[in-house]
Amino acid sequence: MAPVVPQARLAFIGGGNMAEAILGGLLATGYPLSQCVVSEPILARCEFLQQKYPGLQTLCGPNANQLAVNGSVSETNTATDIANGSITVNPTAASTVFDAAEVVILAVKPQVLRSVVVDLAPVLRSHKPLVISIAAGIETSAISRFMAENCTEETPVTLPPVIRVMPNTPALVLEGAAGMYATADATEEHRHVAESLMAAVSKQVSWVETEALIDTVTGISGSGPAYFFLMMEAMEDAGVALGMDRETAKALTIQTCLGAAKMAQQSSDDLQTLRVKVTSPQGTTDAAIKAFEAGGFRELVQKGVSAADARSRTLAKELGGSKL
Amino acid sequence: MAMRSRLAFIGGGNMAEAILGGLLATGYPLSQCVVSEPLQARCEFLHSKYPGLQIVSGPSANQLAVNGSTSAASTAALISEGSVHINPTAASSHSDFSAAEVVIFAVKPQVLRTVVEDLGSVLRTKKPLVISIAAGIETGAIARFMAEGTRVDPRSLPPVIRVMPNTPSLVLEGAAGLYATSDATPAQRHVAESLMAAVSKQVSWVERESLIDTVTGISGSGPAYFFLMMEAMEDAGVALGMDRETAKALTIQTCLGAAKMAQTSEDDLKTLRVKVTSPHGTTDAAIKTFEAGGFRELVAKSVGAADARSRELALELGGKDLSNKL
Repeated sequence: MAPVVPQARLAFIGGGNMAEAILGGLLATGYPLSQCVVSEPILARCEFLQQKYPGLQTLCGPNANQLAVNGSVSETNTATDIANGSITVNPTAASTVFDAAEVVILAVKPQVLRSVVVDLAPVLRSHKPLVISIAAGIETSAISRFMAENCTEETPVTLPPVIRVMPNTPALVLEGAAGMYATADATEEHRHVAESLMAAVSKQVSWVETEALIDTVTGISGSGPAYFFLMMEAMEDAGVALGMDRETAKALTIQTCLGAAKMAQQSSDDLQTLRVKVTSPQGTTDAAIKAFEAGGFRELVQKGVSAADARSRTLAKELGGSKL
Repeated sequence: MAMRSRLAFIGGGNMAEAILGGLLATGYPLSQCVVSEPLQARCEFLHSKYPGLQIVSGPSANQLAVNGSTSAASTAALISEGSVHINPTAASSHSDFSAAEVVIFAVKPQVLRTVVEDLGSVLRTKKPLVISIAAGIETGAIARFMAEGTRVDPRSLPPVIRVMPNTPSLVLEGAAGLYATSDATPAQRHVAESLMAAVSKQVSWVERESLIDTVTGISGSGPAYFFLMMEAMEDAGVALGMDRETAKALTIQTCLGAAKMAQTSEDDLKTLRVKVTSPHGTTDAAIKTFEAGGFRELVAKSVGAADARSRELALELGGKDLSNKL
């Protein structure tokens, strides 16, 4: 994969699993470590990241987010911050002097995103990096509102563009599926940067043209891995109930899931055609599919996907806080 | 695979081609393979895809593939009388190839009996390892067919290994279950396993033949279950306003990603699911809906239906007791 063009300075706000997955994927494709900084409140987590990515600039402490976004004004300033405990840095990082972030990746839990963004609002407004949020359920308009809070400037302020991403857990094994939505003020280059970032850990990256569809992405690929875990668990249990040992049932089930997905990805046939082609009339597959259909399988799947989509919309309202 | 056994594929359909193609891709010598295939058009297709592959066709093709050529003259005679058509571009001299050490039956279940009975004598004489990938035909039935109704010492019959492969073998991502009769040696089991490993990422032995029906219900028919699941998710996305292409692409990659996570993780499937299901989150909402709607029970029922149908087919196709056959 071609490196993100240009090799923008990235600040990860939050160093949890998803942030680490994206960072790790980027580094594996040759992204320069020196262009990355991670701000993470839990010291033990910082230390873990330092060990795993020697030389990575990790910041911890009350001023860490600010420093990550703003860059270090001078070596002296940073030294003062360190001395008074406002930040803890990675002692093995190349330098304590680094530039302002060109891309800020908000990777904190949805429940704390508002306070994190409000706290960073002045520096986000002054530096205007591209803001990428991977937090579930927080709309771009909410993020913009948070960035506009406590604005003391009298002249109208232009806010950073926001790109909202719904990634999924298989990003942790570099097999993610992600949906993305960009506000109208995001340029082609902004979109390309965001897409390249997610492509480091996702094999499928799709743009949606209305933000409401991010809730649908949530219902399909965001929450979807759990649906397949459940399907596989049910098949494994079925095998065991029929007398197979659990290890064999599990291994055959998982590889069947993988093989089906691979066939679907590589074939020009649609999913219905793929299924019909392997379903000889009155054969074993036919018997199973007839049982699925008679039991309302499709409707149940649709219901489950819709439930996730609806919950995503509800969460967006709860967390958006447009009405105080 | 280190072995260099001479392989005869009886039937040159999709699954046979997948296994052959996978073997060749891993360096198996083309000259050690022969395919017997009745359809001329199919033979020509295999000619063009695998130049130099020995392909035989015609009334005596199966015999020749298993027996090998007894002499140049006799093979020439078979050709001139039209009993056999041979690939003229085959690597080894068309008049000289050895008996098969491994015979892979890749014909449709409905014709297997006739095919095996027809080969009974040469199978009993040459005693290759017999591998069957035909659904629903038990090893006991194959043994009966090989005996052709004659009273033979069972020890004189070739050992039989029955395989339930699956369609993703065509993209080298198969899952296969195997069962061997007790007279198969460890070396023979290894041969069968290696063959299937050329196209399968998971190869599992079962110790009782009845479990092959369960393999059928899980991995044999299983790809279609996931096609159905993915189709339903794609449709659900479209119903919610997403364009079909995006819904399809995200769904398929989600399936793939989930399987990869499950394969590479030490966690069991339940733990994997629970770890990604935050209480009161979107995933929780979906999973609760599935559970309330009896998702697990429906899956169990459907797997059971495939397993049961597999057993039925085995009875229908086994022809054990003709007097009781309806």
